[in-house]
Amino acid sequence: MLSSLGNPRQAAAQLMNFGLILSTAFMMWKGLSVISDSPSPIVVVLSGSMEPAFQRGDLLLLWNRNLFTETSVGEIVVYNVKDKDIPIVHRIISKFGTGPTAKLLTKGDNNDSDDTKLYTPGQNYLVREDIIGSVVGYMPFVGYVTIMLSEHPWMKTVMLGIMGLVVVLQRE
Amino acid sequence: MYSSLVRLQNTFGFFTTVAFCVALLISASDFLSDRAPTVNVLKTTQLQVVKGRADYYSSKKEEYAIIKFTLDADLSSLFTWNTKQVFAYVTAEWPSAQNNNATNQAVIWDTIITAPSSDHLGNFSPSKLKRLRKSAAGKGIDPSRGKLQIKNQRLKYPLTHPTGKLALTEDVQLKLHYNVQPWVGFLSWDQNQDWGKWKALKNGLSRKFTLPAIKTKEQAKKKTTTGGTRA
Repeated sequence: MLSSLGNPRQAAAQLMNFGLILSTAFMMWKGLSVISDSPSPIVVVLSGSMEPAFQRGDLLLLWNRNLFTETSVGEIVVYNVKDKDIPIVHRIISKFGTGPTAKLLTKGDNNDSDDTKLYTPGQNYLVREDIIGSVVGYMPFVGYVTIMLSEHPWMKTVMLGIMGLVVVLQRE
Repeated sequence: MYSSLVRLQNTFGFFTTVAFCVALLISASDFLSDRAPTVNVLKTTQLQVVKGRADYYSSKKEEYAIIKFTLDADLSSLFTWNTKQVFAYVTAEWPSAQNNNATNQAVIWDTIITAPSSDHLGNFSPSKLKRLRKSAAGKGIDPSRGKLQIKNQRLKYPLTHPTGKLALTEDVQLKLHYNVQPWVGFLSWDQNQDWGKWKALKNGLSRKFTLPAIKTKEQAKKKTTTGGTRA
């Protein structure tokens, strides 16, 4: 099984193979990022504030270009609050003005009140720049893996170990 | 090459490919079903502009509008086997004083219409859940839920404007919108144009109206005190 370790050429090929898998994944992610113009084109839902539409662990596909229309009321957007690094998925419920300075207010479908309290104190509205994408596609459950991984860090180690083993042990 | 790990890997790979293809087919099936949502009635029944705190948390006093409206719409064609929920919402829209584009838009009322199989996912009260379950016993799809008949509905979210001024605003229109949330696939919204088998939302706009002048101080005061006791 470990015969490859005795063969440097084969070991190097396997290392290359592993690198290829990683870089392909990375390129696909970044490519999607360029196409959708969003720093994070796929996000996992972390809270239940948009239930029943989105549950924890659902995967959302984002689009951040305004080709035909501006981002407007009713769209579900992912935004970052100033100085906080937690993306939030909520629906735009009002929009005053047009263009990049339009004032946007958001609310979770499952929440009783709008998001003013989630924003930075003094910030009453969002602007287009705060938004990193509008939700266009939906895939249930798939993202639960990442929630499991981030909530149970030991799973990350185990998974990486298994992946490494598989690559090393598999012969072409 | 034929170790159990590799077999496991191949099985998992095949499973994800098949699952993804099935999901894609389901999502594509959306485009094969007819959509012809219509609005029969959408009109305001009461208009009022008051100065005060729009909700219990707001710190500043501003003008806000209270609107009551009547809505009769048929969104039943939006419910197919891939519909998880329909989010229907009514917005008030009006052009800004400076230019003529409709640049002010605010949701005044919304409702979540779940498909029978997603009832349990919503955060509904036990009584409402029971009622929903009973109404759709044995049904996976229940298009009749898409028939909205609402009379004299008070708005859910007080209508305000960042400038704090709303009285005598002209050319305000109510508009019904919807957002269809699929079980898997692409989200869709109401359209202004026909698109294949999906027809545009008919008659979704109310007549244009002008918001009334602000209520006098005494009346406004009375309003806020009654609001306080109710809270």
